[in-house]
Amino acid sequence: MDTKKKLLMIDDDPDFVEPIMAILENAGYEVDAKYNPDEGFQALKTGSYDLLLLDVLMGRGAEGIMIARKIGDDEKLRETPILIITGMREQIAFLFPGQPVHPSFVPTDELIEKPVEPDLLLEKVSTLLKMAEERKAKSELN
Amino acid sequence: MSTYSYFPGCSLEKMALSYHQSAMQTTNAVGVEMKEIEDWNCCGATTYFHVDELLAYTLVARNLAMAEKAGHDLVAPCSACYKNTYFTSKYLKEDKDLSDHINYALEQDNLKYSGSIEVKHLMEVFVNDVGLEEIKERTTKPLAGLRVAPYYGCQIVRPKKDHEDVENPRFFEELVSSIGADPVDFAYRLRCCGGSLIITSREAALTLVRNLLQNAVDSDADVIATACPLCQTNLEVYQMQVNQEFDTNFSIPIMYFTQLMGIAMGLPKKKLGIGSEFISTDKILTYAKEPA
Amino acid sequence: MATRPTFSEEVANLMHSSHGNPLNTCIQCGTCSGTCPVAEFMDHTPRCLIGLINANQKEDVLDSNTYWFCASCFHCTVRCPSEIDISGLMYSLKRYSIWKHHYSDDAIGPVFSETFVKSILRSGRSYEPVLAPSYIFSYGVREFLNEAHTATNLMLKGRIPVIPPKLKRIENFKKMADRIIPMGGAK
Repeated sequence: MDTKKKLLMIDDDPDFVEPIMAILENAGYEVDAKYNPDEGFQALKTGSYDLLLLDVLMGRGAEGIMIARKIGDDEKLRETPILIITGMREQIAFLFPGQPVHPSFVPTDELIEKPVEPDLLLEKVSTLLKMAEERKAKSELN
Repeated sequence: MSTYSYFPGCSLEKMALSYHQSAMQTTNAVGVEMKEIEDWNCCGATTYFHVDELLAYTLVARNLAMAEKAGHDLVAPCSACYKNTYFTSKYLKEDKDLSDHINYALEQDNLKYSGSIEVKHLMEVFVNDVGLEEIKERTTKPLAGLRVAPYYGCQIVRPKKDHEDVENPRFFEELVSSIGADPVDFAYRLRCCGGSLIITSREAALTLVRNLLQNAVDSDADVIATACPLCQTNLEVYQMQVNQEFDTNFSIPIMYFTQLMGIAMGLPKKKLGIGSEFISTDKILTYAKEPA
Repeated sequence: MATRPTFSEEVANLMHSSHGNPLNTCIQCGTCSGTCPVAEFMDHTPRCLIGLINANQKEDVLDSNTYWFCASCFHCTVRCPSEIDISGLMYSLKRYSIWKHHYSDDAIGPVFSETFVKSILRSGRSYEPVLAPSYIFSYGVREFLNEAHTATNLMLKGRIPVIPPKLKRIENFKKMADRIIPMGGAK
């Protein structure tokens, strides 16, 4: 039960990935990072991850949204909780007149906006992992 | 009668209304029906690609889906609309992942694009589908002696689509010949007009326009023929600003190829939108004569 | 765990699905710079810019005005012997610079792009008078007067619309865009 949880982070910004990885690794998680959406999705399909940390604006545009949708369409991948970490409200501020980003693409979605508070990040990660475990236990029971 | 789904694009609503009018008149004259796509939207120009390509593809795909629903190939008279629409259609056909995502967005407007239609520039319809022989046939007032600089510009030929000759295309010259006019040897015919740099980098764009006008004048052209509203606007509307900036004295008419076709087919000039230009085309009109 | 990507890899990630060869296939022949109609206005020619990217000179690349001068004429792209989509590269750098707000205050390109995108998402079609304020105030007096004069002439010739165009199904259109970029619901 006490094996290290494995997280995958898909984000194009190395300046953001580095500190976040450090925070998560310090807290006892194992973290892989992929810097483009194709490699990221490939890693998700072939590896086995307990949680996905997903950026939105990468490559051609809002590719994170595309990945989240593809995961939602895939029966197996759907089990993986997704935490969207985005700076899009600031990155393309001209499209967001004041309102916060709060989409819900897949039922397990959580979203936090950059810059990220380390405590909030760790709290969200552990909550999502716990919820996923409970869901799994429940479905095994049935 | 062949029918196409017609996507005019934003410029043709007002700025380049004369292109729209002459396109309608000339296609009608050669027995082609252009059915305007109902409730079409902007193609995203180049600026959407500066922010989010996926959003740009979505905008274009909405027009494609509506054309497909109508069951006709899509025709765009604007080279920028044409390029965006052509390549979006191509990418969506090639990339299922991409087309799934874009179609997911299109669901919100009860649309779907499956990639069953072709995308054509208006000039392609005339040159390839109607055919130059037919156009020659319909030319009742050939423009004999009129020296036309066929200005291709960029996005009607670039990026490369297949194995076509992007360095030395000839279709525009052939079209000009088919209405009895003389295509001049216009070295800068494939050079950029500056596009939206006219807004973002004015000095650079005006320099490009100056060079193009100079080259056309040096080729002894009476008129520059264009196939794109952006080219027409930059070359014509900004001609006065070029004269002011560079102390030049250009006064060369810039006409849509459809307007030249229209006068050669004996269509009334008003219906071709002639009269809304800044630089008089009166002299050009005198060339349209029934053969003796 | 993961190795930090270099700047050239960052650019490659931006272009991950572009339709040409990777930038490291550049042979520095200079065909692009010789072809580019606006090379003389750029801080770095396209050839130089690719060289700088391949040498990971991030600041130098992003600070340059090169990519904002690209008019999307695709002449370099069709001529590149290594078949690199150089115009596509310029689009990628424009995106990167907009997303990172990495451009100078007096740059008109990014502001114009942002205004344009915003205006289309509002109405579905472009409307020139909305676009004008995004750049007109950055002009000097003479350019301003020239532009105003041109605009007046266009108006007189009936070439500028008085009423902004709008789609009939604009609500669907907004919801559609929202599925690509969740902007918090169609407003």
